[in-house]
Amino acid sequence: MRRLQASVLQELSFFFTVPALVWQLFFLFIPLAIVLLYSIVQLPEGTLTLEHYRTIINPMYFHIIFRSLVLAIVSSAACLLVGYPMAYFLALSVKRGKNFLLFLVTLPFWTSFLILIYSWYFLLEQNGIINSLLLRTGIIAEPLMLSNNVVAIFVVMLYCYLPFMIMPLYSSLEKIDPNLLEASADLGATPWQTFWRVTVPLSMPGVRTGTLLVLVPTFGEFAIPALIGGSKSLFVGSLISYFYLVARDNSLGSAFTVFSGCVLLIVALVVMYLFSRRKARIAKGYNNA
Amino acid sequence: MRSIRLENVSKSFDGELIVENINLTIPHGKFFALLGPSGSGKTTLLRLIAGFETVDSGRIFLGDKDITNLPIHERRINTVFQNYALFPHMNVFDNVAYSLSIRKLPVDVIEQKVLKVLKSVHLEKHMYKSISQLSGGQKQRVALARAVVNEPDVLLLDEPLAALDLKLREHMLIELIELQSQLQTTFVYVTHDQFEALTVADQMAIMNDDGVIEQIGTPKEIYEFPVSSFVAKFVGTTNIFRGNIQTIHDKNYFAIDGIGLVEVMIPKDAIWAKNGIQAVMSLRPEKIEISKSPMQGFANHITGVVMSIVYHGRSTQFNVRLKNDMILSVFEQNEEHFEREVIDYDDTVNLYWQKENVVLLEK
Repeated sequence: MRRLQASVLQELSFFFTVPALVWQLFFLFIPLAIVLLYSIVQLPEGTLTLEHYRTIINPMYFHIIFRSLVLAIVSSAACLLVGYPMAYFLALSVKRGKNFLLFLVTLPFWTSFLILIYSWYFLLEQNGIINSLLLRTGIIAEPLMLSNNVVAIFVVMLYCYLPFMIMPLYSSLEKIDPNLLEASADLGATPWQTFWRVTVPLSMPGVRTGTLLVLVPTFGEFAIPALIGGSKSLFVGSLISYFYLVARDNSLGSAFTVFSGCVLLIVALVVMYLFSRRKARIAKGYNNA
Repeated sequence: MRSIRLENVSKSFDGELIVENINLTIPHGKFFALLGPSGSGKTTLLRLIAGFETVDSGRIFLGDKDITNLPIHERRINTVFQNYALFPHMNVFDNVAYSLSIRKLPVDVIEQKVLKVLKSVHLEKHMYKSISQLSGGQKQRVALARAVVNEPDVLLLDEPLAALDLKLREHMLIELIELQSQLQTTFVYVTHDQFEALTVADQMAIMNDDGVIEQIGTPKEIYEFPVSSFVAKFVGTTNIFRGNIQTIHDKNYFAIDGIGLVEVMIPKDAIWAKNGIQAVMSLRPEKIEISKSPMQGFANHITGVVMSIVYHGRSTQFNVRLKNDMILSVFEQNEEHFEREVIDYDDTVNLYWQKENVVLLEK
């Protein structure tokens, strides 16, 4: 009887996934297939071709992909460096008011992404709030070039994506049994040794998730470079939108999308491998049978 | 010297006093049990010794060295945690090797020491298994091995067997005793289980609900000569009578309401026990002889009616209602060497005991 109930439940649970699957089919897999198709079909003849990819394989495009990749990696690394201490503090040091502090961390989520970026734009632009304040107080004579450069993009990236790093880090740090940290100290480890040998390895799932959550969207980020970086700096996201919306070249746009997507996939796999929770090896000499 | 000495140690959390003015010496190289009910502060005391908590007042010494303010990692004291606290990202070998690798010992020395200790806890076959593959008893052994591999001066065990089933627990108790006599390290064993404490301890301390140590002694001293009714009731089972002491013609008696006088022996050092003093009498169930037919040679005799019979396997417990409506527990060994009389419900029985087998207590 119970087994029957369980199997009915199993059937039912599959039934409940149907809407999500249909949604994914229509708005992810089919569009993806269309993009793939566009990238290998010669229009208007409709013959298969690799011509678009041949065009894409060009140092100019490589350079843009490389630049986006560097920005994404630097942003992820910065988010990790800034986010880890915050997550550590929240998860392991704060006793009271934890929920309130978590709320503060996630506050940017409560505002539209575009509004966040526009706020930064008004803050950093030539006639923006920072410049006019500095000018009025006489600290500077000429407005500073705060926006329209890579540093500005980087700062706004860090700001916008930091919560995506902190949340998974927090959840994996919070799961660590405090007794493990006590046990480590008890066995003679200094707080620093405990951090590197116990805390960091056990928080690796959070590091991995957080890094991917920042790396993937920052690689293709379109709004931040466009609004904060000005027109000069081209990144993957801006180039794709240029192909589709300005040049109206769906074939090249699709080929570039597929190609840069593959690059991202490889980088993501490398990150997954680097941050996998590999077994900590203490004595390396013994035979691991 | 690897003895532990606590001097006037107090600790409170959120204004609530958990341990109060504890003075305790845990002798070098002994198996010491700290027994008390849940919430008596025995775990707190252990955590103070380990260094996980700091004292509010008082001092802690390891041998002659004051370790009150020494950081955890500098104390040569290791702990076996109740939930084992094994590192889930390391296998058995690496867990055990942890403290050695922290000390940056050469790899071959680490291997040698880890192998030796794993053999002594019968885990050498499992040393490359991950922690999640182990059973409860195996995890317990890994925790033990990890704590002793570094040869600490003192090993603290916080209810280490609480999560194991009875058979395994009895087995591990024996192994713990063997390990202790092999290592000659001071073991401090915290438990609320009197059976465990009596089994393992060379010496034991009983803590009451208020975080105060009531008695320190060998298991036999504690069991046979408790100093308070709390100890008498907490360690083992006992029957507690209230009444007052009466001395008639150089003989000492204990007067119990509704029963009358029973003869008792007052030890010489019990100077408080004077004629007419209110006191408590503890009589262990196994010290009482139960019989339907009269018997000779006992100092005391009362009668009662059997209310219930509980069969425990090795012994049978009779709950007998006395004249004053008090229920007295009596244990009888089921040795079955000879045919014996059958005692049934509602039988009137004779109860006998010697005056030497009761303990008189002030409170």
